[in-house]
Amino acid sequence: MTDIGTSIPSVTVRGPQAPGNTAALDPVFTVSDLSVFYGEYEAVRQVDLSIGNREITAMIGPSGCGKSTVLRCFNRMNDLIPGARAAGKILYHGEDLYGDHVDPIEVRRRIGMVFQKPNPFPKSIYDNIAYGPRVNGTKGKMDEVVEEALTQAALWDEVKDKLKQNALSLSGGQQQRLCIARAIAVKPEVILMDEPCSALDPIATTKIEDLMQQLARDYTIVIVTHNMQQAARVSNRTAFFTADVDDKGERHGRLVEFDETSRIFTNPTDQRTEDYITGRFG
Amino acid sequence: MAVLSTPRSAVQLASKGRPVREHLFRIALIASLGIAFVFLAALLSYVLVEGWPRIDSRLWENMPSVRNPDIAGAQSAITGTLWVISLTAVLTLPTGIAAAIYLEEYADKTRWWNRVIELNIQNLAAIPSIVYGILGLGIIARTFGLGFSVITASMTLGLLVLPIVIIASREAIRAVPPSIREGSLALGATQWQTISRQVLPASIPGIATGSILALSRAIGEAAPLLMLGAVSFIRFNPDGVFASYTVLPIQIFNWISQSREGFHVLASAAIVILLLILLLMNSVAIWLRNRYQKRW
Ligand SMILES: Nc1ncnc2c1ncn2[C@@H]1O[C@H](COP(=O)(O)OP(=O)(O)OP(=O)(O)O)[C@@H](O)[C@H]1O
Ligand SMILES: [Mg+2]
Repeated sequence: MTDIGTSIPSVTVRGPQAPGNTAALDPVFTVSDLSVFYGEYEAVRQVDLSIGNREITAMIGPSGCGKSTVLRCFNRMNDLIPGARAAGKILYHGEDLYGDHVDPIEVRRRIGMVFQKPNPFPKSIYDNIAYGPRVNGTKGKMDEVVEEALTQAALWDEVKDKLKQNALSLSGGQQQRLCIARAIAVKPEVILMDEPCSALDPIATTKIEDLMQQLARDYTIVIVTHNMQQAARVSNRTAFFTADVDDKGERHGRLVEFDETSRIFTNPTDQRTEDYITGRFG
Repeated sequence: MAVLSTPRSAVQLASKGRPVREHLFRIALIASLGIAFVFLAALLSYVLVEGWPRIDSRLWENMPSVRNPDIAGAQSAITGTLWVISLTAVLTLPTGIAAAIYLEEYADKTRWWNRVIELNIQNLAAIPSIVYGILGLGIIARTFGLGFSVITASMTLGLLVLPIVIIASREAIRAVPPSIREGSLALGATQWQTISRQVLPASIPGIATGSILALSRAIGEAAPLLMLGAVSFIRFNPDGVFASYTVLPIQIFNWISQSREGFHVLASAAIVILLLILLLMNSVAIWLRNRYQKRW
């Protein structure tokens, strides 16, 4: 971890903007004053954040600071946890994501998610991809949908001869790309990824990172990662979270800094950000 | 010193007395299995040898009788058993699986009434079957006015095995990893789609096995049916769910209580038939399990 500090100046940052060049953010999500509770416990406190259209936004920070919690608010997956509650506002294209009339099913159809551990369904590769379109009542040529999704996820060539095979027979990296393909198949606008590479080896990780870069042309991507180089390599903007300890000894997640990735990694405003990315903390 | 210490540590690694204990434990396990197996084999060979002379077409072609053991058969008891157990399955499986789905997937476990339901299902599984017979007599036969009929027997046996079906199905449903549900919901599937297309197919092997074990228990029950009109000698096959009936365990019980030797042989032969039906049901369970596992 300590050698990250020395490598900061040479970090290459993706995206259309050159480092230090502030491009206007075209927001898909606007998060304001978001606090998330698990029962009485306030896991995340007063987060303000915007997610840019067709950008990759990385969320980094020490374990337990609420990155997954915030991520799971974007597609209302936290609704499934008994006692979980979000206060504040998340606007999705200006519409309140937690408004009374909003159907979480519809939200999840537009905002897909890839999990930390690959979780293919115990069905064939084909049925894994076709599942999303089928439950959403998509009519038409399923074969084409499947091929397109697998191609976009850079998996088609590896599996095109064994579409009827059980998805669990794939390697870990292939399974994760299958899960990405599965998410793409319902044609979402946003893809949320919670540490998608943490169970993968470096080669599979590189493949997924390349894939993210390609997908960012058509999709908005939010990724949680513990891998600082990964955040630096793939993201346009980075949000750094940390956990504050209050008087009662409870830890509450907070957003410390949110900026273009190049700035976060070369010239952070907050001392805590700098400590974290240089490996002096966390 | 270093040279000396190496062989000593090797010796310490080798002897701790653990292999002996491991060995004893293994022997104890095998012995327990052996005891169960020997008893089962003794039982099976006894009824086979005893019943052999009467395992022929008379058994399933003739009706029961207490006059002449040579022409008596068990046809009405066989058909009665099949009627009762099929109807029990039809009544119990959908109810039990639905209850299990509710408890596992919908019930909010922080609510007290759901906890009360859970606790009582466990308790119900431990109630002696004769109590269900009293319940069936009082409520189903008399209050509902269904009398001593196949449907009364099936409803009573259904109540008896419902807790087992629910508990087994819950286990099977709980064994489906939460990540599968999350993966499905994250694709915009509704909760019902997630249950019917992911959770249930994945838990069918477990549900089938548990359900068939439960029905196997029902098929061997005599006690509750003694109170529900299965005692008399029935000389016709049930022609519907409201017909009178008898079942194999009761017929066996009746013959064994006769004094003539011929009826005891007949009883053993009927036991063999009962065991065959059980074996058939268990094969179906295994077949279902393998079929669904192969597909994935
Ligand atoms: N289902 C839950 N119920 C109660 N508390 C939870 C739940 N999920 C998370 N928390 C708590 O919320 C806080 C933030 O958790 P979260 O999983 O969002 O952290 P994270 O930043 O994703 O951590 P990591 O990097 O280890 O994944 C933690 O203190 C955690 O204990
Ligand atoms: Mg997390």
